[in-house]
Amino acid sequence: MSEILTEKIEEFRLSEYATQRMKFSKVGVVGCGTTGQQITLMIASRGIEVVFLELNQKLIDEAFEEMGEALDQKINHWGLTKNDEKLILSRIKGTLLYKDFKDCDLVIDSILSKTREFSKDIRQGVFKNIEENVSKTAIIATNSTSSVITELSSELKHRERCVSLHFSTTAPDAQIVEVVKGLYSTEEVCENIRKFLKLINKIPVAVEESPGLLSVRLGVSLISEACDLLMEGVGTKEDIDFVMKKGLGMPLGPFEMADKIGLERVVRWMDDLYNEFGDRKYKPSPLIKKLVRAKHYGRKTCEGFYRYDDLGYKLKDQNQKVVCTQV
Amino acid sequence: MKILVLNCGSSSIKFEFFNMENEKVLSTGIVEKVGMKGSFLMLNKPNGDKVKFEGDVLDHKIGVEYILGVLSSEKHGVLKSLDEIQAVGHRVVHGGEDFSGSVYINDEVIEVLEKNVELAPLHNPANLKGIYALQALLPEVPQVAVFDTAFHQTMKPKAYMYGIPYSLYKKYKIRRYGFHGTSHRYVYKRACEILGFKNENKKIISCHLGNGASVAAIINGKSVDTSMGFTPVEGLIMGTRAGDLDIGALTYIMRKEEIGIETSSILINKFSGMLGITGVSSDMREIEEKAEEGHERAKLGLEMYAYRVKKYIGSYAAAMGGVDILIFTGGIGENAVELRTEICKGLAFIGLELDEEKNKVRGKEIIISKNTSKSKILIVPTNEELVIAQDTFEIIKQI
Repeated sequence: MSEILTEKIEEFRLSEYATQRMKFSKVGVVGCGTTGQQITLMIASRGIEVVFLELNQKLIDEAFEEMGEALDQKINHWGLTKNDEKLILSRIKGTLLYKDFKDCDLVIDSILSKTREFSKDIRQGVFKNIEENVSKTAIIATNSTSSVITELSSELKHRERCVSLHFSTTAPDAQIVEVVKGLYSTEEVCENIRKFLKLINKIPVAVEESPGLLSVRLGVSLISEACDLLMEGVGTKEDIDFVMKKGLGMPLGPFEMADKIGLERVVRWMDDLYNEFGDRKYKPSPLIKKLVRAKHYGRKTCEGFYRYDDLGYKLKDQNQKVVCTQV
Repeated sequence: MKILVLNCGSSSIKFEFFNMENEKVLSTGIVEKVGMKGSFLMLNKPNGDKVKFEGDVLDHKIGVEYILGVLSSEKHGVLKSLDEIQAVGHRVVHGGEDFSGSVYINDEVIEVLEKNVELAPLHNPANLKGIYALQALLPEVPQVAVFDTAFHQTMKPKAYMYGIPYSLYKKYKIRRYGFHGTSHRYVYKRACEILGFKNENKKIISCHLGNGASVAAIINGKSVDTSMGFTPVEGLIMGTRAGDLDIGALTYIMRKEEIGIETSSILINKFSGMLGITGVSSDMREIEEKAEEGHERAKLGLEMYAYRVKKYIGSYAAAMGGVDILIFTGGIGENAVELRTEICKGLAFIGLELDEEKNKVRGKEIIISKNTSKSKILIVPTNEELVIAQDTFEIIKQI
């Protein structure tokens, strides 16, 4: 085959317009646990490069392994081809160093939040570290629903660049992302975030700064009330789920939803909301706490309110013992 | 007159530059990965050299700007000045019911194209981006839209309507449109030229067998039926598309596999067809190789593929009351010798007799039926870009 000559395309421009740099061609994610992985995959599957930061190489390897499994599962369910998977994974890189965020236009914090107070300090540190390594115009966002973005950005040099972005990780294919503008965030930053979300095929929903936003606050309230109904013996969990699905047209009943979200996360969210609002209605139900103490977190441990197989499908025979190879 | 032909996809822009005095191609190429990392422009120069231009191409407008920049550059170009581009022809996938031929693009046309985006959400928006880019970069140069669907607008309601509530046609324009119109139109005309036939009264069946595939029935130069429908997934078994499928089976699959609308669309568009059946590949050459080695499902796939095409030929012969010319085109139609043999087997009863010896060719314009065959069988390599350039040329001449 004859050799192919290579040229720089910029030299063939007709105007300065053409030399515009691609915005959001690379995005950073801090923390690649379950949520971080889902965010990473959502972005990478839309053709954007993602570099994620983890604490050690072992966690990076695990994240890749789990993301590969998540994509494989999608392939098994006809949602993706093998080629797509290769392409998506080729766009993702793991790192231990903040300096690898240097050419990112957006960095999203997705670290695990233990409690609100605990996570606030850590997140502020994460924000500072990000700022030290990115350009002046790069946007810094958090996926946390309980942190207040104004608070997180208050210590930064350029506070106007921060927003809160809450991806729906319970239903990754859902198109919505809740966007919170902080006190300092400028309209320009919000506009850029809208552009970015359009790139990854998401619809932004503007939400005022308030812990729990719309999805978490309403979601946990539903789960909590369902637990009360169950404890009071008003109905069985199967019937409660059945009624909510068939009667109110929800794709999952409250208990199925809780299992999908992860019960330990539900507890964390509720603790945060309880601390913030002081309202008893946000106290995590003892039913959930009991399950969490037994490490029955839901789908990912194959046992929560219901029992699941390795792929996360509800077992037909709920009395069957679960054999879970997942953590 | 020199004409630029553009075919804009969601992340690519194919271009071909014609000198219409002799219909020679001056330059061709493609911009890939528009709006993505790793974008580039690949240019095929007239002398066979290839040049790759690397760098960010943010959007279609910038992609088109670089195409113009390269074509007019001293180093790799074929133009002294951009003024030499006298018209631009665009491939537009879906013209809906509004266009039965190619049109000069004005504001009104653009408005209709915008309206038809809903019918082809994957293709039309990209086509429009190309049109807007040219409007911005070369506002004085006339542009023409050539539609994939236009040729089939001559179908009668009995052929294009589905057996579903009529109100859905009224509400959403759910009907059969057909695609590959530019290709079917080119090859049937070419076949008539080769055979020295005038189009009148000739009954023609054209098989465009490529990555996507469709059959068209043509009488008097007018499409009377075609195998693709509302979307390109109907009809023949394709590389990764299912083709005709019982809708009841699909809803059953959706229930059993617990999948929604989007995933089931991926299932029938990307996992099905030859890839899904054979488990080997969507590439016909690889499947043929495997079949030769005795791979059972590869063999099954090939049998199904040929059988489906044969059934369409039979039904179109019935619809037209016979067939005078059968044409093969598209990557598979032009090259797959065994498949053509398989498809034509047993079609002598409608006057189609393949000459096995003549059939042993690839990618050439040639008659492959026996001299004694009542009806003719031909291979005609397609050339959609040339049709777009010709249509553009004709329309521009009139204004």
